[in-house]
Amino acid sequence: MSAITADPASAGHDAGHSHSKFHVFVEVAMLLAVITGVEIVIIYLPLPHWLVLGTLTLLSLVKFMFVIFIFMHLKWDKFFCTVMFFIGLLLATGTAAALYALFSAGDSKPVGPAYETARFDHQAPARVSDLA
Amino acid sequence: MSSHSASGAIDHHHDATTSTGIPNKKLFMWTFLASDCMFFGALISMHVIYRIHPPAGSPDPRTIFSIELTSFSTFILLMSSLLMALAVNAIQKGNLRSTRNNLLGTIFFGLIFLACQVYEFQHFVHDRNLTLSSSIFGSTFYTLTGTHGCHVAIGVLWLVLMYIRTFKPADADKSRKPWFIMSVVHLIVFTVATLLGVYVTVDFGHQLQTPGFGIGAFLSGHLIPLIGLAASLAGLIFLGRGKGPVDFGEANAMDVESMGLYWHFVDIVWIIIFPVVYLLEYI
Repeated sequence: MSAITADPASAGHDAGHSHSKFHVFVEVAMLLAVITGVEIVIIYLPLPHWLVLGTLTLLSLVKFMFVIFIFMHLKWDKFFCTVMFFIGLLLATGTAAALYALFSAGDSKPVGPAYETARFDHQAPARVSDLA
Repeated sequence: MSSHSASGAIDHHHDATTSTGIPNKKLFMWTFLASDCMFFGALISMHVIYRIHPPAGSPDPRTIFSIELTSFSTFILLMSSLLMALAVNAIQKGNLRSTRNNLLGTIFFGLIFLACQVYEFQHFVHDRNLTLSSSIFGSTFYTLTGTHGCHVAIGVLWLVLMYIRTFKPADADKSRKPWFIMSVVHLIVFTVATLLGVYVTVDFGHQLQTPGFGIGAFLSGHLIPLIGLAASLAGLIFLGRGKGPVDFGEANAMDVESMGLYWHFVDIVWIIIFPVVYLLEYI
């Protein structure tokens, strides 16, 4: 099939290595599916908001790390790839945090009739606003 | 084989390596993904900020969302990531048949995700009156999830092109049937099968919810699309037959791996979007 043939000397090692990775991938996928199920169930449980929010954040972080380190091979790749990706990730997180802080600051809060009504009449049904 | 094999690290399979020791294609992809992180970071921030400061009359997302459908598509995308990882694993071993099967599985799951998103958007626009310009929530929601959907669609197209490439004959220049024309025909058949499949699936989902739904009436009402779908699937099976040696194998592992990195990135973006945009609304 393939035009390129693998080196027979290392074929045995590669086969064993790839075989073990096959099981690692399947086990990680099952774990991620379970975590996703927990995420969905936990929002319906009568738990304090801060606990649900914290758990969702932690579970999402765990899923994120499993995918980048196992599925995306960062665990087996050169460390520079991890550094490269985390530079982008940290810049994105920093930008998000800065935007959140800016828009939450008193002087930066949205003004105008639409927002004044929302603030005083409590008509906006958004529950996420409770988190602010 | 490179010296990395002996240490258990991933072999880069004859790919050009930079001064960092990382192949060009992999370094490019990681750099691109780092920049895409910032792109999605800005979009997610925009949505969250306007959810925290909603104008009066903002719609209640809990009356719009269908958490069951979104959970299903989340699970589908997760499983597509598994198949993509297995496809990369298979091509690194030079197992072309397994690579093709896993690529097809990834394409199939990616299309299911897209079909769910098309159904969701259609439902939101027609039944919930949520459009791109009806509210700030609609604008930020469609911009964020639509951009992610575009990434998924680009990923599916890339997967299809890679799948077709695995059939390039080793003697493509001497072949009686020009490889380029055959691959264009393959792509057209794939596109027709995809469009008809999505159309039939989404319409089936719609009609399933209507009272008095009957499978007989559905089949008779969609006879031409169903025949077209069956014909295009038969065409895909015909074009997917193994015919002699091909110019695709272990040497192309880096191409598949780069594509896999992109596909997994689409998955991790959804890992963030799913709780932030959907689940947080329910607590």
